[in-house]
Amino acid sequence: MISVGIYSGSATTKAVLINCNHIVAQVILPTAFDFLAASEKAYKNVLANSGIAEEDINIVSATGYGRNSIKFADGTISEITAHGMGVYYLYPDVNGIIDIGGQDSKVISVNDGKVTDFLMNDKCAAGTGKFLEYTARALEVPIEEFGLLALSSKKPASISSMCTVFAESEAISLRARGFKKEDIAAGLIESVSRRVAGMARQAGLKQNVAFVGGVAKNIGIKIALEKELGISLYVPPNPQITGALGAALINRELK
Amino acid sequence: MKQLNSLDYIKNSYKARISQIAEERKTGKKIVGTFCLFVPDEIIFAAGSDRIILCGGKNETMSIAEQYLPRNICPLVKSSFGSIVNNSCSGVKSCSHFGMIDMIVAENTCDSKKKMYELLGDYVSTYVIDLPQRPDSSDALNYFLRELDKFKDAMEQLTGNKVTVEQLQKEITSLNETRQLLHRLYDLRKMDPPSINGVDVLKVMQKQYFLSPDQLKETLRMLIREVEQFKVDWVHKPRRMISGCPMPGGNTKVPEIIESKGGVIVAEESCTGTRSFWDLVDENKDPMLALAERYIKIPCSCMSPNNRRIDNILELAREFKVDGVVYYTLQFCHGYNIEKYKVQQALKKKGMPVLAIETDYSDSDIEQIELRVDAFMEMLS
Repeated sequence: MISVGIYSGSATTKAVLINCNHIVAQVILPTAFDFLAASEKAYKNVLANSGIAEEDINIVSATGYGRNSIKFADGTISEITAHGMGVYYLYPDVNGIIDIGGQDSKVISVNDGKVTDFLMNDKCAAGTGKFLEYTARALEVPIEEFGLLALSSKKPASISSMCTVFAESEAISLRARGFKKEDIAAGLIESVSRRVAGMARQAGLKQNVAFVGGVAKNIGIKIALEKELGISLYVPPNPQITGALGAALINRELK
Repeated sequence: MKQLNSLDYIKNSYKARISQIAEERKTGKKIVGTFCLFVPDEIIFAAGSDRIILCGGKNETMSIAEQYLPRNICPLVKSSFGSIVNNSCSGVKSCSHFGMIDMIVAENTCDSKKKMYELLGDYVSTYVIDLPQRPDSSDALNYFLRELDKFKDAMEQLTGNKVTVEQLQKEITSLNETRQLLHRLYDLRKMDPPSINGVDVLKVMQKQYFLSPDQLKETLRMLIREVEQFKVDWVHKPRRMISGCPMPGGNTKVPEIIESKGGVIVAEESCTGTRSFWDLVDENKDPMLALAERYIKIPCSCMSPNNRRIDNILELAREFKVDGVVYYTLQFCHGYNIEKYKVQQALKKKGMPVLAIETDYSDSDIEQIELRVDAFMEMLS
């Protein structure tokens, strides 16, 4: 059985191809404007990377914000369920997931890969990848270096605005007042972590918690979350693909 | 599911009711506008006046309301206020009743409504009934009874008619009949699967305080007859209950999403649901006392403590064989939003899964709500 999971996210589109429970190939692309075009490209690329022909694919399943626009998929599944399954594949003892993506953050309780409860923040950009993108821009720091820069701070600035737009102006006014770049970065990272950690506590996440989504690549956030929650987090080598992986695995089970 | 004829009737009832109200006004009959279950219809009808509900469920009048009211308050309050000062819904035809009111009968429930009524008084004569908000304290009932007596006087003054005991008793009996019909309709939803969708029932409930009691009863009788005879194929559908804020006419966003994903709503613990008809008025007591006793027990989140509501939710979940509760709140509705914590705790203790959705009247969050509902369905399958 060969299946493909496609995760159509707000910032990136991911595709994972699995064959008999083994990951054969994976692809991450920027989504840009057209969700369907990005998915088609991701699908084409994952096929090319795997060397498997399209007619040998048994099932294509879609997940993520744009899942319903992927017309060529055989079925769809919510990314919450998909993350549960994908993370369980990587860490069979997991019972909590923190996912911070481009436009929302989620905390998910899981038991043997099955979702038992979840909370989401998607009404506001606070605590999302967008928040970090905007504020990194205000500091003129490439997003990839943002986490490391924050780690070098000795005295994190205190950021009180939850709203992304206001946090950006707060960061700029701290710059004007002569605060160090790394201290502002650390303050911004703490503000995201506090918010997400609050959701994690609300959902009762305690031990064996995985951190996934694009923001899990930010080492600063990972360390701040671990400090805030008092636990160490599992972060997969490629934290962006767990949703697509889960979609590939679940539909394999369904059919 | 096949369309029921009585639902067409409900859909087309707006025009007929509007011309009826216009006729009544020509003959000098007074029309009262209300917002809330705490205002006893019995007293309004006993005074020989008619009533229509003013709760707004439409998004179109928000920008009008925001010229007067803060942006960050309850959408229901904003929508209603916008419709009333606009005498319609910003050009939406189905809203002309907002301009046909002789007096508003308001009530002190939540802060947003209370303060909105102060502004409304500049546009339409507004009478406010005060509510004791600790309903189980020793003086609450007497206080509420005195408030209802004053309200009765105000109605007599408005209409020039005396409210007699006989008239009150007649109206109590009549509205108890309505409540019993609603119980019968809700009993039919206990079947698995029910032969009527939640969205269809909600559309009837949204007209409950818009139609006259006779029109409503006629509609309910037709609907019950149809639903009783209606056979659906036996396919079990996930049974959901909505609990929380009211869903006034024009606002069916969340129930529609839930039912489009294959679930069926079997009960609404809501002002546009069970809270409106669950308890009957005692017909063997002094009518004013019986009204005070019945209305003060409505488990609205403005009451404190409000354990009656939690007990009621648990009872409904059991009676209607619910397998998942959607806790529905409007943004900035502090009462129901804060009460969510206690309700969730109580339901989870009984092993009942809960999905919390906080939303407004706009369409901007449909995708996000769909995702939550999808995940909730997958979680329970």
